[in-house]
Amino acid sequence: MSSPSLTLPSPAPAAARKRRLLEILGALAIAGTYIYLVLNQPADITGGPGSASALIALSGFLVGAVLLIVAVLPALPTSTVVLIPVALVLNIVLGQFVGSTLVPFYLDAIGTVLIAVLAGPAAGAATGALSSIVWSFFNPTVLPFAAGAALIGCLAGVAARHGLFRRFYLAPVAGFATGIIGGVVSAPVAAFVFGGTSGVATGAIVSAFRSMGDTLLAAITKQALISDPMDKAIVFTVVAVLVYALPRRATLQFLFVRWHRVLAGRNSGQDS
Amino acid sequence: MKTSSALAASIRSFAFHDDDAPVLRGVDVSFAPGTYTAILGGSGSGKSTLGRLLAGWLSPGAGGSLAGHLELAGTRLHFNGTAHDPRIDPARWGEWVGFVPQDASAALSTVRATVAEELAFSLENAGMDRAAMREAVERTAGMLGLAGLLERHPGTLSGGQLRCLAIGCAVILGPAVLVLDEPFASLDTTGSGELALLLRKLVAGGTAVVVLSQVIEEVLLEADGWIVLDAGSVAVSGAPAELMAAPERLPTGIRRPVANRNFSMPASGAAARLGSGAAAPALELRSVHFSYPATAGRGRKARATSGKAGGYQHSTVLQSIDLVLQPGEIVAVTGPNGAGKSTLLRHLNGLLQPTSGSVLVNGKDIAGRPVGDVAAYVGLLFQNPRDQLFERTAAREVRFGLDRRFGAAEAAERTAAALAAVGLSGAAEDHPAELPASGQRLLALATVLARRPPIIALDEPTVALDGDGLAVLDKAVRSAAAAGAAVVLVTHDVPYAHSVADRLLTLDGGRLPGG
Amino acid sequence: MCWRAGIPDRTPDLLPMRLHPLTSLAAAGSTAVITTAAASLPLSLAVIGGALGLSAVGGTLRRLLPAAVAVLVPLCLSLLVLHGLFFPEGQIILAQWGPARVTAEGLSFALERVAQVSAAVLALLVFSFSVSVPDLVAALSVKGVQGRFAFVLASTLTLLPAITSRLERIRQAQEARGLVIRRGLLHRIAAFRLQAVPLVSALVEDAAVRGAALEARGFGGTGPRTSYRDVPDPVVERWLRILLVLAAAAAVAARLWLAGG
Repeated sequence: MSSPSLTLPSPAPAAARKRRLLEILGALAIAGTYIYLVLNQPADITGGPGSASALIALSGFLVGAVLLIVAVLPALPTSTVVLIPVALVLNIVLGQFVGSTLVPFYLDAIGTVLIAVLAGPAAGAATGALSSIVWSFFNPTVLPFAAGAALIGCLAGVAARHGLFRRFYLAPVAGFATGIIGGVVSAPVAAFVFGGTSGVATGAIVSAFRSMGDTLLAAITKQALISDPMDKAIVFTVVAVLVYALPRRATLQFLFVRWHRVLAGRNSGQDS
Repeated sequence: MKTSSALAASIRSFAFHDDDAPVLRGVDVSFAPGTYTAILGGSGSGKSTLGRLLAGWLSPGAGGSLAGHLELAGTRLHFNGTAHDPRIDPARWGEWVGFVPQDASAALSTVRATVAEELAFSLENAGMDRAAMREAVERTAGMLGLAGLLERHPGTLSGGQLRCLAIGCAVILGPAVLVLDEPFASLDTTGSGELALLLRKLVAGGTAVVVLSQVIEEVLLEADGWIVLDAGSVAVSGAPAELMAAPERLPTGIRRPVANRNFSMPASGAAARLGSGAAAPALELRSVHFSYPATAGRGRKARATSGKAGGYQHSTVLQSIDLVLQPGEIVAVTGPNGAGKSTLLRHLNGLLQPTSGSVLVNGKDIAGRPVGDVAAYVGLLFQNPRDQLFERTAAREVRFGLDRRFGAAEAAERTAAALAAVGLSGAAEDHPAELPASGQRLLALATVLARRPPIIALDEPTVALDGDGLAVLDKAVRSAAAAGAAVVLVTHDVPYAHSVADRLLTLDGGRLPGG
Repeated sequence: MCWRAGIPDRTPDLLPMRLHPLTSLAAAGSTAVITTAAASLPLSLAVIGGALGLSAVGGTLRRLLPAAVAVLVPLCLSLLVLHGLFFPEGQIILAQWGPARVTAEGLSFALERVAQVSAAVLALLVFSFSVSVPDLVAALSVKGVQGRFAFVLASTLTLLPAITSRLERIRQAQEARGLVIRRGLLHRIAAFRLQAVPLVSALVEDAAVRGAALEARGFGGTGPRTSYRDVPDPVVERWLRILLVLAAAAAVAARLWLAGG
């Protein structure tokens, strides 16, 4: 009787190369779109309907985000895939709730950063992009921010890999830095696609800069530089609190956490 | 002779990552086709870990490090706990071994809209064509009694139906081995009987059935063999009759059925003594009525809930409930599922407000008072301990909030006393979530005991407790009562209620005669 | 909580004729793209009216409106305040209070943007409130698009309502333990931690069990997949989808060509 194969083969290098290529293409699409938008500083933004820039921003960023998902999602282990909906639920519930208050923050990336810390930059990027796409199912205005959300997830994963979650005080610092980059990248989307921000509180800050005579893109970028770093510092801190509250057995099932020693040992580091 | 076993394992040791002590040590088991085996052990004895290893749900390497070998369908895989170990393909393994976890609802895919599609999930993934899928779904549903529920949304099923569905998902591919983790927990007598019948059918069909349990259920007496685990090793194994004849060989962690014969009202003298006393009652319910508002607002949600309740057309849950509880008295409330036991309990601390009537704690009406304040007098323990626990260590958990109320010195004293009362002194620095299920319930109990409330209310206290845990609970409840606390417990476990309570009341159709 | 109103229902009311989910997705998507590309106020207004009418005919308007309001009202307010009061590029001044100047250009810019975004948002919402998610998931799996994306979408929509009841349970359990949420930001933050920790750890733990269960049921496999649910896909609709996608692409190309030329 021939016995069945009960074990997994080693992963084929060709498939890995193809995925790497897609990842790079996705990143290039996002970076290219951003550079084009900033360099061209389309004058039509407030002069005309500005929809050419809106279309470029939308399609460039969306294509990039979708490429990232296509590259990363099939390669993720099932234990990570089943966690993604949990992360999206956290993002959406908190984001929708905070967005309806008058706080100039978003707090819509807690789930994304949680996945990034547990499963790495690639999983974080995919989760960020997926989060925007799934959330757009009942709030289509978040769809254009998919690339920015993917970037946040990726940067959070990089921060985790380099041990920034091993010391409790480093997490908000990493979040602050991530917020600067994320805010600058997302600003053109707000400017070109919406011609403003989607919240009342953030809109007030943009108004203040506009009243001083800034261009719309400059005003929104400055607003993003005020809101995003603080927002991400809070998000990273919350995630640090959550991952250290999780039982160690739950976090150590993730290869990324074990390999890169993402979290401090039980008796070292983080303890109040 | 190796081929005579459907599944075999020889585990020299298995340890989770970052743990020093192995969870399993020196476990050799083998299951032949068409046999029925029970693996018995207390909470934390390693039986769930063993079950998940056997079923491929816990992959050696990813989940922990295994030294030993597993043998399935004539293939033997050797593991040394190194990176060169084979990696199990869970999908192929799952075709041979089905597993039903304790929490059946967590095993569902969450992405299928009907019971039929949920059952078909593994067939879809195997690429089976639609006609064959329909045939398999109908056959499995017929076997499990799910035929009438095929078009229902899995989220609307009752607990027992969900467990049936999870079993169906595990057996639809016709595995050679079926492993079930605590399948009889919280099933009533009828449910247990039906499940036992199903298992007999599977065994007769050649499946090797393995049941993990911390309770010696009556239906386990018919198993071909018992394997008894204690602290991660096989303590003893053999035929049920042989082991039942020498109960001292079974670890105390395994719960034995309470003898059902002594149904005389226990301690009726105590109740009379307390009842005749002139002391003010600790708790009093005066003609409490409760009905859920017949909402029209949340259209779909309301429809879904009323559909779930089945026969309940009127939403009245409690009708003219009168109950007087003296200090030091233990009262048990039993009743069938859905009788409103948990609803009654939630009235005691104001989580639910009666539609009419009043609840008096220490002689004062609690209407309108915040639940968090009433909790100083009424400690309520829910069924699921995890909802109540949020700290990083057991000691911090118990101590939470005590500092502010009693000062550091007394907080430390109360914490130590409460942990000792539930037998968790040795686990004070453990993470609550890493305690075994029994330990988590006891820890939640300790958080209530540390506040020494005059009234303690317990929701299904015996569920998830093993033999040792039940003994600890029993002692803690009795000593709290002896110290003057009034205890109310609601449970479906009538024998246990008889053994502990001064008064036994039955909630039926929303009424509580004799309260 | 307010966001509850915004979750699309998973059992759609029956439309007189049922489109394949991917066809309605293509229709909604291309409508959104074409409206954005056209950037014309009349078209935007027409799409808004059309979307609302379609939703009313389909019987989803009562559920769609709260979601649309929750999304669009803050956005519109933000844009109107921003451009209505502060538009340094504006020449025709209608009113002025200190630094705030109401300009005709600002108002019309805000109006155009509001109409354009609202049109795209409503077009997409009509789709998500009318589509049957199980059908969409089945269609996605059959179409070879990663079953994993379908899983993430459907699982999120299943978990969303479940999480509210779970949070409620946690809150009750903790109150019963004697935790009183007091006023003040710090106390609220502390209370958030107390509720978030059990919530997240329970969700992560459930996910671990679900992961193992799904793997054992072949979720991780790469072989061919079939679908139990039968979602009819007439040839006409396949051609219609191609047509819609081409129309959207053409609109984008035309706009970019006009902008470049």
